[in-house]
Amino acid sequence: MTESAKKIGGVEFRSVSRRYGKVTAVDQISFKVEPGTLVTLLGPSGCGKTTTLRMIAGLEAPSEGTILIGGRDVTLLPATDRDVTMVFQSYALFPHMNVLDNVAFGLEVSGVPKAQREAQAMQGLAMVGLAGFENRLPSELSGGQQQRVAVARALVLEPEVLLFDEPLSNLDAKLRRKMRDDIRELQSKLGLTSVYVTHDQEEALAVSDRIIVMNRAVIAQEGSPSDLYRRPVSRFVADFMGISNLLDGIVIARADGRVKVRCGEATLDLPAPTATAADDVTVAIRPQGIRLEAEAAPDRLPVTVRKATYLGSHLEYVLDSDAGELFVVDPTSERAVPPGSGAWAAFRHDGVALVPRGE
Amino acid sequence: MTLATRRTALAATALLGLTLGSAAARADDLVVYCGVQEEWCQAMMNAFTKETGIKVAMTRKSAGETYAQVKAEGSNPKGDVWWGGTGDAFLQAAEDGLLAEYKSPKLAELHPWAQRQAADAQYRAVGIYAGGLGFAVNTEILAKKKVKEPTCWADLVKPEFKGEIQIANPNSSGTAYATLATLVQIFGENPAFDYMKKLHGNVSQYTKSGAAPAVAAGRGEASVGIVFMHDAVVQTINGFPVKTVAPCEGTGYEVGSMGIIKGGPNPELAKKFYEFALTPKAQATAEQAKSYQVQANVATPISEHAPRLEKVKLIDYDFKKFGSAAERKRLLSRWDNEIGNLR
Amino acid sequence: MFRSHILWLIIGWIGWAIVPWYGFASTRRPATGDWPPSGLLAGLGDAPWLLPLALFLALPVPFVLARSRHTGLALIVGGLGGLVWMMLEGSAITHKGWAWASLAGLFGRLPEGQPGMGFGAMITALAFLFFFTMGLAARGAMKGDRFTTGAIGFLVASIALFVFWPVSTVFSQAMLPDGDISGATALYNRLTARDIWSLGCITGDTRCGVVWNSVVLGTLCGVITTVLGLAFALVAARTDFPYQRALRLLSVLPIITPPFVIGLAVILLFGRNGTVTLFLAENFGLTATRWIYGLPGILLTQTLAFTPIAFLVLIGVVQGIAPSMEEAAQTLRAGRWQTFRRVTWPLMRPGLANAFLVGFIESLADFGNPLVMGGGYEVLSTKIFYAVVGAQNDPGRAAALGIVLLALCVGAFLVQHRWVGSGSYTTVGGKGFAGTPAELPVWLKRAVYGTAIPWAAFTFLLYGLILYGGFVENWGRNNTFTLRHYVTAFGLDWNQYGLLWTGRAWNSLFTTLEVSAIAAPLTAALGLITAYLLVRQRFAGRATFEFMTMLSFAIPGTVIGVAYILAFNQPPVELTGTAAILVVCFVFRNMPVSIRAGVASMSQLDKNLDECALTLGANSAQTIRRVIVPLLRPAIVAALVYSFVRAITSVSAVIFLVSARHDMATSYIVGRVEIGDFGLAIAYSSVLVVLMGLAIIFIQWAVGERRIARPTPQAPAARAQEVAA
Repeated sequence: MTESAKKIGGVEFRSVSRRYGKVTAVDQISFKVEPGTLVTLLGPSGCGKTTTLRMIAGLEAPSEGTILIGGRDVTLLPATDRDVTMVFQSYALFPHMNVLDNVAFGLEVSGVPKAQREAQAMQGLAMVGLAGFENRLPSELSGGQQQRVAVARALVLEPEVLLFDEPLSNLDAKLRRKMRDDIRELQSKLGLTSVYVTHDQEEALAVSDRIIVMNRAVIAQEGSPSDLYRRPVSRFVADFMGISNLLDGIVIARADGRVKVRCGEATLDLPAPTATAADDVTVAIRPQGIRLEAEAAPDRLPVTVRKATYLGSHLEYVLDSDAGELFVVDPTSERAVPPGSGAWAAFRHDGVALVPRGE
Repeated sequence: MTLATRRTALAATALLGLTLGSAAARADDLVVYCGVQEEWCQAMMNAFTKETGIKVAMTRKSAGETYAQVKAEGSNPKGDVWWGGTGDAFLQAAEDGLLAEYKSPKLAELHPWAQRQAADAQYRAVGIYAGGLGFAVNTEILAKKKVKEPTCWADLVKPEFKGEIQIANPNSSGTAYATLATLVQIFGENPAFDYMKKLHGNVSQYTKSGAAPAVAAGRGEASVGIVFMHDAVVQTINGFPVKTVAPCEGTGYEVGSMGIIKGGPNPELAKKFYEFALTPKAQATAEQAKSYQVQANVATPISEHAPRLEKVKLIDYDFKKFGSAAERKRLLSRWDNEIGNLR
Repeated sequence: MFRSHILWLIIGWIGWAIVPWYGFASTRRPATGDWPPSGLLAGLGDAPWLLPLALFLALPVPFVLARSRHTGLALIVGGLGGLVWMMLEGSAITHKGWAWASLAGLFGRLPEGQPGMGFGAMITALAFLFFFTMGLAARGAMKGDRFTTGAIGFLVASIALFVFWPVSTVFSQAMLPDGDISGATALYNRLTARDIWSLGCITGDTRCGVVWNSVVLGTLCGVITTVLGLAFALVAARTDFPYQRALRLLSVLPIITPPFVIGLAVILLFGRNGTVTLFLAENFGLTATRWIYGLPGILLTQTLAFTPIAFLVLIGVVQGIAPSMEEAAQTLRAGRWQTFRRVTWPLMRPGLANAFLVGFIESLADFGNPLVMGGGYEVLSTKIFYAVVGAQNDPGRAAALGIVLLALCVGAFLVQHRWVGSGSYTTVGGKGFAGTPAELPVWLKRAVYGTAIPWAAFTFLLYGLILYGGFVENWGRNNTFTLRHYVTAFGLDWNQYGLLWTGRAWNSLFTTLEVSAIAAPLTAALGLITAYLLVRQRFAGRATFEFMTMLSFAIPGTVIGVAYILAFNQPPVELTGTAAILVVCFVFRNMPVSIRAGVASMSQLDKNLDECALTLGANSAQTIRRVIVPLLRPAIVAALVYSFVRAITSVSAVIFLVSARHDMATSYIVGRVEIGDFGLAIAYSSVLVVLMGLAIIFIQWAVGERRIARPTPQAPAARAQEVAA
């Protein structure tokens, strides 16, 4: 890796498919990763996100379509010849090499002289906070340390694109939080183009510039974290992004770019969604988008409090209504409404989205 | 010890192996396939090199193996001379046109059986030694069992020899085929097969190799082995209690032969070897190497250990008939069906 | 444009234009100069059919230099065209001129033919082959991996040349017309012969067919060697048995023993006149019988001989089972026995299946032991041998029996596949390797000790006797001490010309060591690369490929020997009489064991490890060298040891392939055994045993151990265990 390799390239998929016999793992997907950004592939297991990632790395060959990295067609280029590195879910640390040799491996095979590659590897280790561990074997490290070695190993090559395959799934929750912040910090500091695979929406929201949600081999939605959270285009995306309140609604009027939606006993006046033209819709409401009020109003839903939980920073309610069960997070009030009492659920308009009924 | 040192060591060993090997693989000239015992092969080749200065590359294999090899190499022969081994294989090779015709001026110096072998093979082979069939008898075991030593073919079917006799399988061994042919010539075909069926009850094992019954008799694994007498003598010389017996009804014999391989790389050298091999001097190497066959040249002194063929009742063995592929196949398949198949 | 494209273009041109085209050692052809002509010179001279090759060598050049998008296609066309042309001219023009008379009519008579292809032709053909595979890679085959396509291409081509071609040559003999019986009928008759399939021993008083004998023997041998091998592997890897090293050494001894020798020792102990038999007869009044000859004897010697192979296959498997899995099972309240049965055992299953398969096939193909111990018990391998060299001289029958034997081995292979199934047995993950192996259940430990220790003692006894036998005048009869046998075999003399190797064995010993030392690393390398392809790469025809690699193993040495002579005695590929034919034969015969060992070990390595190396910019070759090879050290040791030792001890194929200049130790020893000169045979064998023992120690030292964890105090995992203990 010389100075000229500092250039940062994006990734582009043009109608890429990957089939295994009759099974289609990835079906005609197209997307772009802008240089210097971190894009997350998010989706349930088996949705094709890992296959997509492996196609970027060159570990899988697409059945059809074109893959570009830094504007160059790399569809037929083997993994070895791509300027892409990857952090594996299992870390894939070479068990027979010590930490330093692991980190220096990529430099070694690309012919960097010993002194230089060891210096670079030490730098990489320092970057992930593992200076002083260079002589350990992987089996002598904790999980978090192993994970950081894997990151350092991928980083020291200063790749055009850095890939993460569920890198945090083997860590405990606290460590996971810290590691994801560290990864995000390193990535933005170094300005690396990164693609990140996870099935954890919170992780995706925390680290990404953009998120691509995949489902059943195709892209379900693509956008910034807040786009996806605020404006899901399908019930699947809404559900997967953690918008837990999905109620059936019927459009009763459309005018001036706004719609009136009937949802249980409430009628909501919302900005017209781009995604749906049908009258049968699902109303997706974020837990934070609901407030409990004492008085009735046309856009409020009568509810009964089933459960209230005090969690220090906020309150959580489970409510019963004619339209279905509602889950509410209330960060504002200090006093909980006691279970069993009746109330009115009011909706913050920026907390509600309409998606087509069904999937 | 670092990995680099180890790799160097590995490479150095490989190199050493190469040098050692190439030291052994000299650029030799005459290629001889040798069908007798290894000592005799060595002694013979050394004698030839000493006499002529021609270097010899020699392989020792049994007659069957050499025949298979010469046949397989037929389209592009690699050997020059095939020296030693049972005459049947030579007759077959001559029949197949694998051997070159050559009439030595020394033919007249040879025993009649050797000349007859040459004539049978249309001068594509010549006899170089002869050995009669007989019994290798372990005297120790028989004495212990108080059984009289067998002297005739007929003795072998007596009940006291049950499980005591070994003979090779004629399908695999030329020796055993010679025995089969001998019995057919002595008794006639049907009585011979009746005899062998009776003998089957006494045979503990049909060995693969022709000389193996002699070894078994020496070791006491069997008390009688039906073998060439010179193979039995070797056991006696090696210190085993083995007595060599020539059967009273008469017995067959083999004519160990020699031939020049047709189209071999060095035909001139091959002829030189051929001529040398027929001299008494060359044939004397046999005794030095503990091989006690009777040598073809009349002038070769007969070893004191050698079973004297003139004292043995030799049958008039029809090599031509019993050496032919068709007769061989017929007899062998009859043997297979009537005897080999029995439990 | 890749450097490898340029490199192989240059190599191809050098091979054609500079290196002598014909012959490996010496050719009889060039009457003029000392330096035999290259393809170019011969082409300009009297072999004009070599000139068109330049066309195929030139075709890809402009594309590669111009970095054209069509480089891949150009390489494919050039490579394939060159190969096809070489095959055509090679088979059309033999050493005697046109191979088919009709060609002479078409092109006129040739003054003389052409000799066998040599180094130049070989290099050029390799270059063409790699043009082709690089072209395929450039077109996206195997994810564009040039190494993988190249390796597959090379293996397929060499297996086709050195396994398929000779074998089909010999099998076509099964269809030779028999007298006036037509080919097809003759084939049918030969395949259904009574002596192959008869069940007479059950239904009547005739013998059973040779197939049933072989199957019974092979199955028993496979089961027993697997059980014993497992016992040894468990003792070595899972117990605190104090004499581990001695045990391992002993278990490996039989594998480094030349054929016949174990048989001889067994006969001298258990034969009718054997030491043990006589002792029993005298003290217990038992009748001395010849029970050892036949099935019991063959089985005993084969078990002695093949248990170590099972051990070598299984030790890697037992060691490769991650202790953390067993620990996990124990924390789930599984007892030692449950842990063993539910976790350890299933993890070992692929290894066991491999060990059984190897034992079964080894037994079927074994030749030396049935020869010595067989008695009246006929098996396929000896029957084939005598069908070729015996008084019948019937290659058609031999070929038919060979087909039957091959079918049996293929059957075993399929059964094994079914049993192993498609489970995942990855246990060495990328997360390191922690924990200590679970202790064996007490009764299992006793059983394992009870099996392994007596067997080891027995082996030890046999070897003591063998060693002793080389130093006495005449074992069993005259037990005076002598060095006579050693002097005869390995005498040295010193005169004014320097050192004289006067011993009879030196010549064959040097050839043997040379050939084996060349064959072993080649075998191990090819075998492990094949294993890598089989485990790690998915490609069309992978199953066929796997089958092809197993094929040469399943074919008995005798058939291979004859096949090699038939196929490689004349141009275009003329190898008979060279050391190369021995090396090639050993490589392709012994490769399957390297493959099995590699497959068993590699399926325990996490695939992410090599994928990770690839994404870090290592190419496949570097990945293999830096990541896979160090983790496969046990398999490498097994492969190297096995192929080295087998090259030294094999006999059945060698008997046909040794030549005057290249004699092998075993064929020399066979000759000594035949005439009952056991002393010299044993002395020579003892020397071979010692040499091979040293070689094994050397190989183990040179390859080194797999180090993925160390018991140092700072290791948290280890410390935790100490506390727990």
